[in-house]
Amino acid sequence: MLNTEKYDVIIGLEIHVQTSTKSKIFCNCPTGYFQKEPNTHVCPVCLGLPGALPVPNKRAIELCILMGLATHCNIDNEIYFDRKHYFYPDLPKGYQISQYKRAICSNGYIDLANGNKIEIERIHQEEDVAKSTHHTENGKDYSLIDYNKSGVPLIEIVTKPCIKSAADAKDFATKVRQIARYMSISDADMEKGQMRCEPNISVQEKGKWELKDGKILPIGDYKLNNKVEVKNIGSITAVEKSIEYEVERLVKEIEEGKEIIQQTRGWNAEKGITEFQRSKETADDYRYMPEPDIPVIEVSEEDKERIGKELVELPDEKVKRYIENWGISQYAAEVISSTKENAMYFENLQKELSKKLEEKDAAIEASNWLMGTVYSLANIAGKDVSEMNIDLGDLTLLILSFKEGAFTKNKAEEILKECIEKGKDLSDEIELLKKEKEDSSSNLNEIVKSVILSNGKAVEDYKNGKDASIGFLVGKVMQETKGTANPNDVRNILVEELKK
Amino acid sequence: MKIDVKHVAELSRISLTQEELEKFTPQMETILESVSVLKDVNTDGVQPMKSHVKLEDLREDSPINGLTQEEVLKNAKYKANGCIKVFGKVFGDIEES
Repeated sequence: MLNTEKYDVIIGLEIHVQTSTKSKIFCNCPTGYFQKEPNTHVCPVCLGLPGALPVPNKRAIELCILMGLATHCNIDNEIYFDRKHYFYPDLPKGYQISQYKRAICSNGYIDLANGNKIEIERIHQEEDVAKSTHHTENGKDYSLIDYNKSGVPLIEIVTKPCIKSAADAKDFATKVRQIARYMSISDADMEKGQMRCEPNISVQEKGKWELKDGKILPIGDYKLNNKVEVKNIGSITAVEKSIEYEVERLVKEIEEGKEIIQQTRGWNAEKGITEFQRSKETADDYRYMPEPDIPVIEVSEEDKERIGKELVELPDEKVKRYIENWGISQYAAEVISSTKENAMYFENLQKELSKKLEEKDAAIEASNWLMGTVYSLANIAGKDVSEMNIDLGDLTLLILSFKEGAFTKNKAEEILKECIEKGKDLSDEIELLKKEKEDSSSNLNEIVKSVILSNGKAVEDYKNGKDASIGFLVGKVMQETKGTANPNDVRNILVEELKK
Repeated sequence: MKIDVKHVAELSRISLTQEELEKFTPQMETILESVSVLKDVNTDGVQPMKSHVKLEDLREDSPINGLTQEEVLKNAKYKANGCIKVFGKVFGDIEES
């Protein structure tokens, strides 16, 4: 990158998240529009027909408040909606119901793992617009409009222009997604458009600007460089890549003495570049006005308390607890808590195991089995652990049976793998193995004797002081018992027999 | 009261001729002036009239099917693939949400 010592990078992020309600924000139409026949989740309200009135969805407002609580925001006691006017076919009313003067949530923050605090200016509630696809036919441009998405609840999270690097912007977006998923606010799948990130980027000379009341101001007679907005970012990785590209481009332009015009650019993931879309020389003119069709919504302290009960422990807190209380490694704790499903599976497994084991041992066993065995099996199967459908009780039984010495770890992993691949019942297999072991332990002595007889060389080596030979003999016995015997028991019996 | 009718028309994607602009501008200014008498009313000490509703009393989140695709498309002059078809280059100077 060019001349990073000379310039500061200033980034603000706008993140839109579709919240997971069953019905739309202002009408009863169902929300699940993905891969549905166009214009089948539509009613006069989301179609903007004359006389239709918006009726706010309680759950949507609650999810917006929940996001605010999870990011340490102040929650307003009164909710006001405003109309944002613009004339575009994806917006049938001619305005979007949004919030202008007062957002439901304000002044929050998210702490990043590297210690940087990203301040959130506001989180407000609005409605999504229709989906439009653009086409050309015989040189004539046209668009096809599907109103299924129109009116799906959308929250917009706006940070202060306080993000200093592409990496921090990516980390922030990752945290937002994680919170949304952990709290069941949204699936936040960027590819499906459930979460959209739009960075505002500018590059200024070091020491020539200051951040005051959330605004970038010049110092002295310095002329601020204009900011650039990047759209069309389809993944978390693209958040980082597009910003890195844009910063480099901006610095180059400035170094060449060019003036940066305020503009919107689109990220082209295939080419790995941003492309000019339109200039924003004139300020947007949305003619905001209070939405007269929706009354002021009162939010009481009891409401906030009730919604606050939905807050769940976030990954960072889990990692800390796993390490401090249970002695799990940092790496394992991070992998396990990366999704809510994995973390819940781990915690439930720990709980089951702790009925028989010490709390800490239970956690460490659970962590080892998940990290060492279950995740790699899931990896091979190309599935998420939650999709593997390994019964918690069965896995507990397997681990405990192994701990009791019913079979070796290799054997345990082998049957787990087999049960997953062939759909066999794990608990049946464990019972079978245990029975086999009982049968074989009665003739373990016999097997040991026959192994001693048929491996004269190793026996002689051992008797001549080559202790390592015992390992070879243990291996032979294990082979004969198909891995069902406990290697320690085998060793003890062997040592006893060889003394004779 | 001045009003930039040309600007307002552009925002609404309406093209007006010079004659129309000259005709409409004084008309719209008259409307604004008529409404502006409200500014002269003394509202000191008067509470704003706002209707309130409690969060807990809002609509429950239960989906109900609305119109059929056929009904939705009934008013559309042009349609294709179950969608409403609109002509013209819709990417413009206006922000897409």
